[in-house]
Amino acid sequence: MKTFFFTGKGGTGKSTMASAAAWQLALMGKRVLAVSFDPAHNLGDIFGLKLSHKKKRFDKELYLMEVNLEKASAKYIKENINLLEGIYSYLKPFNMDRYFQILKYSPGIEEYASLTAMEELLRVEKENFDYIIIDTPPTGLTLRILALPVVTLSWIDRLKKIRGSILEKRYTIHNINGRISKEGIKLAYKEADDMVMKKLKEIEMRFMRLRIFLEGNNNSIVVVFNPDFLSLKESRRLINALKELKLPFRIAINNKVEDKYLKEAEEIEKKLLINNNCIKLMRIKRMEPPPKKAYTMVGSLTEILL
Amino acid sequence: MLLKDFLMKIINVFKWFFSVLGESHRSRVTELTSYEERELENIFILLLMGSFAGIPAPPAFLAVELFPFLEYELRILETRAKDSSDALAELAGLMDIG
Repeated sequence: MKTFFFTGKGGTGKSTMASAAAWQLALMGKRVLAVSFDPAHNLGDIFGLKLSHKKKRFDKELYLMEVNLEKASAKYIKENINLLEGIYSYLKPFNMDRYFQILKYSPGIEEYASLTAMEELLRVEKENFDYIIIDTPPTGLTLRILALPVVTLSWIDRLKKIRGSILEKRYTIHNINGRISKEGIKLAYKEADDMVMKKLKEIEMRFMRLRIFLEGNNNSIVVVFNPDFLSLKESRRLINALKELKLPFRIAINNKVEDKYLKEAEEIEKKLLINNNCIKLMRIKRMEPPPKKAYTMVGSLTEILL
Repeated sequence: MLLKDFLMKIINVFKWFFSVLGESHRSRVTELTSYEERELENIFILLLMGSFAGIPAPPAFLAVELFPFLEYELRILETRAKDSSDALAELAGLMDIG
């Protein structure tokens, strides 16, 4: 299974390119799933369908779905409230969920919910499809989502080291005193018995798998840009950030190029892809008037995708 | 028979005396390690919930996922927050000063 993340500034044509790519791959007989993580959700509009978080068949080999970030966050919070209530059942009378509902406004929760949804999607659907095409939210949010595995792994590493020292000290105390319990709580002194360490390792494993996949050969980041100054600036920032995160930027699409400004378009491509010799580049002409079935109307993207 | 009972009682008293003495020695020996362990627990939970104290914090979901297993650490955090003005006295007590 291969994945393509279509990224870029808002309005450059990410969703159109993603849907065209999905359509063209499906026409070649490949099993394709196109998923939108963009809260604007243009994918359904492009294909003329009302989409939800359940995949919907559009054509013989093409399935579509939209991930609702708000629902994904709510699901994540509900799961954790249930876990908390299960453990601290004596707190139930205090209507704890009221306090934890506020968590959905906490910074980073939406990004995490998106990443969890993405991880689940890739895990569940990897056997069912040859290609998964992902239409991402605008640059800022996409970068925060894609950076999350790296940031989280470095935090987990630090927390694991501290937890390891705590368990070492507890082990020493246990060996001398013959027991270790405080305030009526029996404390774990071995890594295998410590729930916090177990949970940290579990989260680490999840993020490690996702990071390996995102950085691997089966994943490609596609940057869609337009031949104008603002798009150049933002795409440059995006490409630099992708490099920093070691994410595989492999394809660039210069969309909405006009014949009369071909020279300018070439210049922008040169500026953007300087020091990026291995990137496959494709130029898509502006279509006037914009076509109704946009997914059928752009050039052959499979040349650069396959 | 009476003498045997008497001797057994004396032995038990000695056993109890030495066990208490041993325990007191052992807890004296582990006092510093316990203090270190408590401080590390405090640092761990402070790091995890740093956003509440205005220090750089890991992503919020890490705290959320670990929260259910941190009852003891949360109690330590609360105690340390209450005793924070008296940290020097605790250290002095630990070192047998004063």
